[in-house]
Amino acid sequence: MAEMVRKSSSDEIINHWIMALSCILLIISGYGFLFQIEGIGSLFGGFNAMKTVHNWLGVVFVLSLLYSMGHYFKDALEYDDDDRQWFKVAGGYLSHKVKVPPMGKYNPGQKLYYLAILAAGIAIALSGFAIWLIQDNAGLILLAHLVHNLAFCIFIIAVPVHIYLGTLANPGTFQIMVNGMVPLELARKRYPKWMKAAGKM
Amino acid sequence: MTNHWIDLKNADVILAMGSNPASNHPISMKWIMRAREKGGKLICVDPRFTQTAAKADLYAPLRSGTDIAFLGGMINYILEKNLYFKEYVVNYTNAAFLVSPDFKGPAELDGLFSGYNEKKRNYDKTTWSYQKDESGIALKDPTLEDPNCVFQLLKKHYARYTLDKVTNITGTPKDKLEAVYELYGSTGKPDRVGTECYAMGWTQHTVGTQNIRAMTIVQMLLGNMGMAGGGINAMRGESNVQGSTDQGLLFHILPGYNPVPNASLPDLATYIEKNTPTTKEPRSVNWWSNRPKYITSYLKAIYGAAATKENDFGYGWLPKLDVGQNGSWLMLFDRMHQGQFEGFFAWGQNPACSGANSNKTRAALAKLKWMVNVNLYDNETGSFWRGPGMNPKDVQTEVFMLPCCSSVEKEGSISNSGRMAQWRYKAVEPVGQSMADAEIANELYFKVKELYKKEGGAFPDPILNLTWDYGEKDAAGKVKHIDIHAVAKEINGYFLEDVYDTKVEPPKLIGKKGDLVTSFPSLQADGTTSCGNWIYCNSYILKDGKEVNMMARRGKDDPTGLGLYPGWAWAWPVNRKIIYNRASVDLQGNPWDPKRPLLKWNEAEKKWVGDVPDGPAPPMGTDGKFPFIMKPDGVASIFGPGLNEGPFPEHYEALECPLEENSMSKQRINPTIKIFGGESDAFYSCDSRYPFVATTYRASEHWQTGCMTRHCSWLLEMQPQNFVEISVELAKELGIKNGEKVIVVSGRGEVEAVAMVSERFKPFKLENSTVHQVGLTWHFGWQFPEDGSGFDSANLLTPTVGDANTMIPESKAFMVNVRKA
Amino acid sequence: MANDNTKNRKAILVTPEVCIGCRACQVACKSWNQLPGIKTKNNGTYQNPPDLASAAFNIIRYSEVPSDKNPVRWLFVSRRCMHCDDAGCMKICPAPGALYRTKEGAVAFDRDKCIGCKLCVNACPFDVPRYDVEGKVTKCHLCFDRIDAGMQPACVKTCPTGALRFGDRAELISTAKKDGFNTIYGEQDLGGLGSIYAFKDAPKLYGMKDDPAIPSSVIFWHTVLKPFAVAGLGGVVAAAAIHYLTVGPHKDEEE
Ligand code: HEM
Ligand code: SF4
Ligand code: SF4
Ligand code: SF4
Ligand code: SF4
Repeated sequence: MAEMVRKSSSDEIINHWIMALSCILLIISGYGFLFQIEGIGSLFGGFNAMKTVHNWLGVVFVLSLLYSMGHYFKDALEYDDDDRQWFKVAGGYLSHKVKVPPMGKYNPGQKLYYLAILAAGIAIALSGFAIWLIQDNAGLILLAHLVHNLAFCIFIIAVPVHIYLGTLANPGTFQIMVNGMVPLELARKRYPKWMKAAGKM
Repeated sequence: MTNHWIDLKNADVILAMGSNPASNHPISMKWIMRAREKGGKLICVDPRFTQTAAKADLYAPLRSGTDIAFLGGMINYILEKNLYFKEYVVNYTNAAFLVSPDFKGPAELDGLFSGYNEKKRNYDKTTWSYQKDESGIALKDPTLEDPNCVFQLLKKHYARYTLDKVTNITGTPKDKLEAVYELYGSTGKPDRVGTECYAMGWTQHTVGTQNIRAMTIVQMLLGNMGMAGGGINAMRGESNVQGSTDQGLLFHILPGYNPVPNASLPDLATYIEKNTPTTKEPRSVNWWSNRPKYITSYLKAIYGAAATKENDFGYGWLPKLDVGQNGSWLMLFDRMHQGQFEGFFAWGQNPACSGANSNKTRAALAKLKWMVNVNLYDNETGSFWRGPGMNPKDVQTEVFMLPCCSSVEKEGSISNSGRMAQWRYKAVEPVGQSMADAEIANELYFKVKELYKKEGGAFPDPILNLTWDYGEKDAAGKVKHIDIHAVAKEINGYFLEDVYDTKVEPPKLIGKKGDLVTSFPSLQADGTTSCGNWIYCNSYILKDGKEVNMMARRGKDDPTGLGLYPGWAWAWPVNRKIIYNRASVDLQGNPWDPKRPLLKWNEAEKKWVGDVPDGPAPPMGTDGKFPFIMKPDGVASIFGPGLNEGPFPEHYEALECPLEENSMSKQRINPTIKIFGGESDAFYSCDSRYPFVATTYRASEHWQTGCMTRHCSWLLEMQPQNFVEISVELAKELGIKNGEKVIVVSGRGEVEAVAMVSERFKPFKLENSTVHQVGLTWHFGWQFPEDGSGFDSANLLTPTVGDANTMIPESKAFMVNVRKA
Repeated sequence: MANDNTKNRKAILVTPEVCIGCRACQVACKSWNQLPGIKTKNNGTYQNPPDLASAAFNIIRYSEVPSDKNPVRWLFVSRRCMHCDDAGCMKICPAPGALYRTKEGAVAFDRDKCIGCKLCVNACPFDVPRYDVEGKVTKCHLCFDRIDAGMQPACVKTCPTGALRFGDRAELISTAKKDGFNTIYGEQDLGGLGSIYAFKDAPKLYGMKDDPAIPSSVIFWHTVLKPFAVAGLGGVVAAAAIHYLTVGPHKDEEE
């Protein structure tokens, strides 16, 4: 058995899946609403039920999103020269030949993704609550409706990219979200600065 | 109505004065709108800019209670500008008749007619009569030049009603007055017709009857009576008020407008003699000469076999009024207030809110030993003992509530304003223990009869001899349930013997014993026919051996195109849709207006084509009869000596008015009204405590005192509270804001209301003063809505005074004050 | 969402000129739809309830405007759902079938399908939809149930004067024009309204908006964001697939 290092705590993993699942269900039901898709509606037991589910999943999603700040927020705010260089080579995703600078625990793409989701998540949540709870304010509700949908557009782009990168594009990554462990060998390659800081390199 | 609802569409000009059809008779507006679509013009004359005014082509305001001045001015205008229809006036009215030279009018007597007795407040009418020739026929001057002819007297009388004078009385701007006169006067041409729609805005005045008289004079001058699209149309305030009047609801008339006998007429012969008009005029039909047949058939209908020739057909059993007694509403409650009644049936009414001077009415109820309230709902009358200002402990009146069912829970007929009796069917079963009125009457009748049988009593005969054959009887002899068809048939009448026409040889059988009478010419004065109400004779007939309920017919054909629909239901008399219709043709029997051929004489077949004519006689020019068959002279009365105030309407101010002087004469108020002197009957003119004129009215959303409509949440939603409409100018003066709660006070009471401040009321500019007027609805009452949020009845304010002829209370012009609540 | 039924489109023609303000229409609607009475108070006007409500699908608006010949001009204008061809309410509604187009081209609602999100009222140019106690949409539905049964809408049937008329939309418009009404409000607006008004004067006078329009944010959302939500998702999924096939997954090069 190769030696493993822990990248994510179980707390972090559980929250991630709560966040991810609720988000995906919200996206799916959101799609159902957006295009009045009967099939999606029946998946949730009708549109009335779907509304309730959507609204309360929204609560779940935003709580877990806020909770996730404890896990990622600090990291997501710190950038160095390597990060800048990382952008120049597009993270090495467009060609395997370029030299990708050494990364820490998260690469800047992930960090920015998190910030985007955080911002869009808060926006979509606030606007969602507005649509849900505000009674008589046409202007505000219409604004909320617009914001909700603009934020949705961010989700619709960001989330699939995130899923692709977390699965097919980076074999071995998905496991982190299962047991939180990365083989030491792999970690040294992918997160050299983090490993160095942890004294494992 | 002389005409009928649909007929409004045939008019060129419609004058809505004394009414607000858009709010209170919305269906009439359907036909008024049809008339307007064809170029007809709607004139609205009203103190307030009403919903009708909003639709009118011409609106003119007038101060409440000045209609006669307004119409007098119109008569003057028509005469001055020669707008009248001369041929009609000469031939069909009494304009040419010569009046006694002793007759004097207000022009000479400063507001009075000859024969006034100041003490008795009435007139000796001897001088109000025609000059007659040896044979007793009135003298006439067809040139209308004789100074004593009706036409010249009319001219003299109304010459005083100049535009300036009228403006100063009514407060109507002069240009508006002239515009109304000109437009309405344009219907004096043969091919133009004008109609008038009135309601309580004309009748509920001390000069109510004369308001209408003034308009009939206008209509006769313009040749609008008897015409399609013409006439004088009383828009009744209730779906069946016409029917109830026809059936003798009022104290002074029996069914079919036969007068109630009084104590001076001890037997049938004297009754008939007194009440059967005669004429020497050979060409007058004088229809009331048939009175003996109608009264006898009526007696036979109510007393059946017990009514015999020997006992005067039971005439002695009819209740008699004392000579000169008035049993109208105001009088009844005045006497009740004096403690002269023990018991009272409030049947289908709510006097605690509907009657003038409600505080007095409510106090009167407390003087009763018992009261029976027959109604759909408990109301302010049934609950008067726990009403405002009452201490239940002090009230000894025992109140019984008999719930009755609504019109859709029973079968029967209703007669609308157009005299059309329509049969209706039961839609649903009565709610709870409620019963149809006829069933309640049945129970009551049987119990009363039992008591009379058992205990005798003062005068049991009228009850014991009453026929009551309205269906199957139980062992005790009580009718189990009223068969309403049996009632309808009794009203129509039966042949009680085989009846023959003995004028022909050999005598011809008119009707077989036991058969329904076909129409009133078959009725007899010898007791061989019965008929509960002669004008309804022909409403339930025998046709081809089968009994046919004419009122249930639903034919939709309109052969004349004038909207007569002769096959739909049935109108009295004999399905005539427009009465006096023989005045719609010239002397040769051709319609005055070929576009509106209501009737036309077919010379070849010797018969009338069109509406059911007023008698089969040929046209006047071919030896026919006069068209106004109900009048002894056969012509319409421009000079009308029948009313108490005089033969021509004269302007008097209301009992409570804002003016020190009547600018027409020194007679400020109607000289013949009864003045009630009780403490609760107080009235105040030109009193700074009550400086504003007030009027009451109805809104579309509620009906009468609101007893039925206030319980309908849909209607209450639209009109939840009593309101008082106030001009912007007055509101400013009083510091009242729109929507604010205010209190309206009169000399008799006060009521809360929401102030509705609007441009729709405007102050009236009179000669030397500005008069403010306000108006309130009388739909509300303290008892429901239960939280009192609707406020109380506007009749808490109205005075105890009535019209000099009918005693209908004056609720359209009185004085109040308004203050912030 | 243009209406496919424009050809046999039915409409209600409102002619305030002949409306007498009797409000039989208000009662008829409540009666047919069995709507509860609303507890109101008099606010110094005949108009009551003051505005459309969950239990008031139509109201008569009483307005007083200046007049040169009378103390005032008093207008009675029936207010109700306009049954827009391009209906903001339908556009924004997230629940299929909650608002739907009837055979006659009207916009009806199905309260069982409505999820009570209240978006429609905000997207309606005429502020029409209301919500009942359960938060479900209510509004005039042009009496589709009566029309199906061969009857006229309840309010039209009751109207004594002809101020409300029901019939073929094109025919109503041409008769109104023939009758000399120079402004047919709703003839073109929003693809053509199903409640059309015959006016003698400018619509503003009768309390109508000059250029009724669906809120621009709703239009933007409908024409830009919605397509983007499809294209965007499709785009990223396609991009990922292409990436996977061309560039391929990340390789951790041997050191
Ligand atoms: C976080 C809290 C959220 C709340 C309170 C919320 C609430 C709402 C509400 C009230 C609606 C209107 C329809 C309905 O009532 O269901 C709605 C629609 C929608 N939601 Fe959310 N939502 C939330 C999160 C999300 C998320 C995370 C997504 C997807 C990433 C999303 C996507 C959508 C979409 C696409 C629609 C349809 C938009 C439309 O048809 O106008 N929502 N949401
Ligand atoms: S008026 Fe409003 S509710 Fe009616 S169809 Fe148009 S957008 Fe929808
Ligand atoms: S409230 Fe009902 S009808 Fe209105 S948009 Fe939401 S789901 Fe549709
Ligand atoms: S069409 Fe029907 S639902 Fe609409 S307002 Fe008229 S009665 Fe009410
Ligand atoms: S029923 Fe007709 S006339 Fe009466 S208020 Fe309604 S639209 Fe106007």
